[in-house]
Amino acid sequence: MSTRDENERLVLLQGTLDLLILRTLIFGPQHGQGIARSIQQTSEDELLVEHGALYPALQRLEDKGWIAAEWGTSQNNRKARFYTLTNAGREQLAAETNKWRRLAAAIGRVIGAEEG
Amino acid sequence: MFWRRRSGSDFRAEIEAHVQLEAERLKQEGLSDDDAQHAARRAFGNVTQAQERFYESRRGILSDTLRDVRFGLRMLARNPGLTVVAVLTLALGIGANTAIFSLLNAVLLRDLPVARPHELFLFGKGEWVGSQDTLPDRSWQLFSYPFFREFRAKNQVFSDVAAIDSITFRSHGSIGGDAGTEKIAVELVSGSFFKTVGVNALLGRVLTDADDRKPGAHPVAVASYAWWQRRFGRNPRIVGQTVTINSTVYNVVGVTPPEFFGVTVGQSPDVWIPLAMEKEISPGWNGLERDLFQSLYIIARRKPDVTLAEASSNTNLLFKQILYEYAGSKPSPKDVEDIQHALIELTPASKGLSQLRFKFESPLVVLMALVFLILLIACANVANLLLARATSRGREIAVRMSIGADRSRLVRQLFVENGLLGTIGAVMGTFVAWLASDVLVAAISPGSRPTIQVAPDLQVLAFTAGISILTVLLFGVAPAFHATRLKPASSLKDGRGAIGSASHGRLSRGLIVVQVALSLMLLLGAVLFLRSLVNLLHVDTGFDKQNVLLAGIDPGSVGYRVDARLATMMDQVEQRLRSVPGIRGASFVFSTFGGGWTDPVVVPGRPVSDHDPDVFQNIVGPDYFATMKIPVVLGRSLSPADTLASRKVAVITETMARIYFAGASPLGRTFSIPPNREWQNIEVVGVARDAKFMSLRQNPMPVAYYPRAQHPIYLYNLVVRYSGDPKAIIPAIRATIHSVDPNLPVSDIRPLSGEINGSVSNQRLVAQLSAVFGVLAAFLSCVGIYGVVSFGVTRRTNELGVRMALGAKRANVLWMVIGEASRLVLLGAAVGLVCAVACGRLAQVRSQLFGLASYDPLSIAVAVAAMAAVALFAAYLPARRATRIDPMVALRYE
Repeated sequence: MSTRDENERLVLLQGTLDLLILRTLIFGPQHGQGIARSIQQTSEDELLVEHGALYPALQRLEDKGWIAAEWGTSQNNRKARFYTLTNAGREQLAAETNKWRRLAAAIGRVIGAEEG
Repeated sequence: MFWRRRSGSDFRAEIEAHVQLEAERLKQEGLSDDDAQHAARRAFGNVTQAQERFYESRRGILSDTLRDVRFGLRMLARNPGLTVVAVLTLALGIGANTAIFSLLNAVLLRDLPVARPHELFLFGKGEWVGSQDTLPDRSWQLFSYPFFREFRAKNQVFSDVAAIDSITFRSHGSIGGDAGTEKIAVELVSGSFFKTVGVNALLGRVLTDADDRKPGAHPVAVASYAWWQRRFGRNPRIVGQTVTINSTVYNVVGVTPPEFFGVTVGQSPDVWIPLAMEKEISPGWNGLERDLFQSLYIIARRKPDVTLAEASSNTNLLFKQILYEYAGSKPSPKDVEDIQHALIELTPASKGLSQLRFKFESPLVVLMALVFLILLIACANVANLLLARATSRGREIAVRMSIGADRSRLVRQLFVENGLLGTIGAVMGTFVAWLASDVLVAAISPGSRPTIQVAPDLQVLAFTAGISILTVLLFGVAPAFHATRLKPASSLKDGRGAIGSASHGRLSRGLIVVQVALSLMLLLGAVLFLRSLVNLLHVDTGFDKQNVLLAGIDPGSVGYRVDARLATMMDQVEQRLRSVPGIRGASFVFSTFGGGWTDPVVVPGRPVSDHDPDVFQNIVGPDYFATMKIPVVLGRSLSPADTLASRKVAVITETMARIYFAGASPLGRTFSIPPNREWQNIEVVGVARDAKFMSLRQNPMPVAYYPRAQHPIYLYNLVVRYSGDPKAIIPAIRATIHSVDPNLPVSDIRPLSGEINGSVSNQRLVAQLSAVFGVLAAFLSCVGIYGVVSFGVTRRTNELGVRMALGAKRANVLWMVIGEASRLVLLGAAVGLVCAVACGRLAQVRSQLFGLASYDPLSIAVAVAAMAAVALFAAYLPARRATRIDPMVALRYE
């Protein structure tokens, strides 16, 4: 279990989960639980990924053709469904990342300006 | 990729794998087996919800629709009364529309079944029938054979040109070696006819130029498919068969394909014979060599690279050039002026020629509009039924919405239900149309045999599909959106409120107003058209149409020439008929009603005016006026003493006397028909009362009657006045004629009144159908008003109970309910009247009225009274039910 209280975590903005999933898969194939864990770890436990919401999201990305899935075996010899980034997914990731950066920068500027 | 199905169990397996992986990780962090499992599941959250969302994303539109269809069918079956009423209403609406449209399509819209019909053009409108023998001086429609030959040879803009006799001959002929004769409909055409329209033979060959060179030298015939089928049972040995008409033997050389009925819709000939045989087919009326015997329609195929403007200017240039040739080297100033005004209007002939079209175009357009109003009323009715049902399904829909059903999803499902209703209605409607179209075709066919094919084609099917979709949209949209606009909370609280949903009431009351307005329009139309028909049938014809029989006699077909033998035969037939018991009078006549020819007349000493109407000419036996009971008001009637040897005489009508002998007595005065030697210096010996001659609608026109002895021609009609039972008279007429000459073909002995009533068959069709539509509309409105008032009473049971408990009298309640309905009806009636009066200004509507105006006050009063009676009746039944409410029961009901 995580050491921090769940209430302190940031709830994901709508649409950002897709971006995070795609970003996580850039390091190679991964199963659902691994993706959830990885997002949580790389965000230094700031982000809460509700596991229940993860799978419909994965399914949606798969339907869109941005990721592909295949059953395989995990490190500890368990059967798991592994997801891979497709070429279309890579393009989508680039586009989304760019969009997100601009959004974050814009918001940052607005907030920064007020503080200044 | 979208349709690669992933199963639910696969998804479940993945979730299970996730939980196990998570639990293992937690165990590594030091949790116990149980705690790890528990925490992993908790972290995952709601498994069911995730699965729901998975299913949601998996489900395609298709499977949804299938489910909706199944559910819809169950809902329709659960409420059979409503379903049956709705389906029947829609079937009537769609069926009636399809039936009228298929008739409209066959008469007005369908292209001829020939190659590239849009290249075909008719010279003039094709309204005239018969012959014209004056120089053309306006937009012209009939042409002579010499003109056709010369035009065809010299024209540059048409790939080919054909001529068709404007009259289809009902000849008597015998087939092969048969002794008896039978009626054969003959169309005389130029040799270029089949090539021009682009029709090849199914069997044998069609006519060619080689069949139309020398007058009288080409006794060949091409049979129509329908005749081949009817008369020969499609025996291929028809080619080489002989047909004898007027003692000329014709060889059948071929048969046309089944779809080709000729170029005249509603008038298909049995055989086509070359125009070169005109004199042999029509011994009394011909003129192949005469420049101004103009009796032909000309139809031409425009070259693809020629524009219509080019074709038109070239045609008219050539037309005038040829007319100047006819006028001679020194044309009179009048001839020059006439030719300058002469004109050929190229009329698109892709849909063929049709006298039916002239007669039925306006009626069919009017009927199409009426029947569309019926559909609107039907839609309003079904919409109201569905609104009522939607309200009673309010609970179901509220439950679904409160447990998370999407509104668009619910609307879609209601739409599928309505679509099902519409589809079933359309299928049944097609069946209704199929039954109705036979009756309709019989109603517009002039003879006993149906003359047009209304078999559904692509256009009709597209129309039905279109109208069905429109129907579903009209009746389905409002109720579907309405049903899902409920607020779940309030609808769940009570199945039935004390006060009805205000917006439901507004919508359904609005529909009632619309229905009443439309029904009133239909009722008013029915009253106006029926009264017009009655007016027409009772119009003073100027003769007594009762107890008169018409017989057709064809002396030419058995070898009579226009000579003394013919005259003697006619004298004998008239004389012997007069002595038959029960027969009061008999006379040969050129035309009794519905046909004739006109000529301009000149009265010595009276200046010719451009406004002079041409005079209708009729040739009659000496007994004609007595037989028809046309009173001769001045001078004498025609008599057997008027012979070839005596002075040429005529009896004229009052109108002719007024126009040509203004004021003074015409007796003893003379008139002439300019170009004609035989028709000079004719003395007026009597004036007869005006009689209808061409149609019942026409105003009195100038007519001159001449004794048949002085103008020997073939007369094909015989009128006989009788008393007593016509069934006994008919064989007596036949026997008497055969006692004079046993070979004379006698056909169609029929009552004159039938002929006259038949001349208004278009009026009759409109009147009868609009009466049916009016009754149907009133009935549908009745159902609609009943439904809405009755539903209102049910919903207000509680309120009415309270009112009665507080002392309202039964009569008060009755009048309250009826009064509310009456306000709607009054509003609808007002709207309907305004619309009806506006529609009454349309030319198509006016053309169907006779002897009254579209705003005829009596008709309006009748229609409004009928509508009011129907509406009151419909409201009275539920209102009476309201008065029977027991206050105690009603109050406890909550």
